Amino acid sequence: MVKEIERAGLPVVHVCTIVPISLTVGANRIVPAIAIPHPLGDPTRTMEEEKEIRRHLVQKSLKALQTEISDQTVFAD
Amino acid sequence: MRLELHKVKINKLAWGDTTSVRAGVLTVNKEELLSVLAGDERLAKVDVDIALPGESVRILPVKDVVEPRFKMEGPGGVFPGMVSDVESVGEGKTLVLSGAAVVTTGKIVRFQEGIIDMTGPGADYTPYSGTCNVVIILENVEGIDKHDYETACRMAGLKAAAYLAEKCLGTPADEVETYETPCLKDAMAAHPGLPKVAYLYMLQSQGLLHDTYLYGVDVKKILPTFLNPTEVMDGAIVSGNCVSACDKNNTYSHQNNPVIHHMFRRHGKDFNFLGCIVTNENVTLADKKRCSSYSIKLAKTLGVDGLLISEEGFGNPDADLIMNCWKAERSGIKTTLLTDEYAGQDGASQSLADSCPEGDACVTAGNANEVIVLPPMKKVIGVPEEANVIAGGWQGSLAADGTITVELQAILGATSELGFTKLGAYTI
Repeated sequence: MVKEIERAGLPVVHVCTIVPISLTVGANRIVPAIAIPHPLGDPTRTMEEEKEIRRHLVQKSLKALQTEISDQTVFAD
Repeated sequence: MRLELHKVKINKLAWGDTTSVRAGVLTVNKEELLSVLAGDERLAKVDVDIALPGESVRILPVKDVVEPRFKMEGPGGVFPGMVSDVESVGEGKTLVLSGAAVVTTGKIVRFQEGIIDMTGPGADYTPYSGTCNVVIILENVEGIDKHDYETACRMAGLKAAAYLAEKCLGTPADEVETYETPCLKDAMAAHPGLPKVAYLYMLQSQGLLHDTYLYGVDVKKILPTFLNPTEVMDGAIVSGNCVSACDKNNTYSHQNNPVIHHMFRRHGKDFNFLGCIVTNENVTLADKKRCSSYSIKLAKTLGVDGLLISEEGFGNPDADLIMNCWKAERSGIKTTLLTDEYAGQDGASQSLADSCPEGDACVTAGNANEVIVLPPMKKVIGVPEEANVIAGGWQGSLAADGTITVELQAILGATSELGFTKLGAYTI
């Protein structure tokens, strides 16, 4: 899906847990997520902490979307 | 370590007054078996049935298959940390009811459970159409947590397998197989000139009912460790998996792991087989990195020239497989990968979720997406409607006449990544 949307001319940020797979399939902007069963949260944290995790991931993703890149890029912290 | 497997051949099952073997017939005292399984407050109902090779019988949804085994001489007991105390196993003598199997079925725990057809086209795809199956039918107490229900099913299968073999202690074996592994000090000096190899044994451990146990320890909590191959034969590794039926390594396939058996067969001839490194397949990238690095560090510490790596399941575990591969290869250790494929129903899609140039020696156990039509059987043990929800099936998989159309994914062991499968290919 990432590749097809980009083929249509829209830049995509792939938020995913297993970064190597994202690199293999050819995503260009990659934001690492938390874990496969809960990519955007962490059930061991409080609701407030989880909200902060989500906000951080979204902000990082938006920044990635606006960043000029020339090669596959992983936006780590 | 020296282990003798005393194999008593079973080619038929019958109900009777005592559980025993005579002339290849395993007679089962149904009431006694049920009394062994009684008393689990997580289960509302337990029943038992029989399914023999060639009968028009379908079993679904199958949770696990276990081979009846019991220790004749220790130390330790079968399925340590589950049925027996946590004493180390893999030495002494073990009685095996070869040709018999305990199959657990009943109301579904999780959608990734499988089908066994005892005859017809489906039978060609599962090794458990060829075993004499004692089928345990389980029903959970209403409202119980799924993990508790899975535990109850897993324990019932293991208890039944241990019970059947224990009752047959004293039966003379038709065949005795001996497996011996020296201590590392001696193993390192043995067979000079032959390459040293180990088996990197990947175990499914994603959680959410995708779990495997080593001496009773949930494998997601381990760091990779060394295991003597004979420990596996005594049930040190137990499946608690509700992973797609075709490529989950059920307990029977661990007990009879063909990778281990074939590596023993070639030991001292083609290579020096040093043992197993067991590792997991966890759900965070950090765990995948940590455990692949740790596994390869163990392999380097052992000084092996080659690693055979088997995967369990598919999708994100492909990333573990590939990390294990390139980390080994870049350390100078040659690898062979044993996996299966999800290449779409037409076989035209990408087979694995991940890949690397170093993975140039890869063995496939088949395409799990291939579609098969299973004609109706005269008898179904379990819950046939689950065909519409199990992985590999879809709403409408079960037709009104009992025909089931599914992907091979739904057939137990169809594309076993231990190679415990009937699928094969020849180079022409």
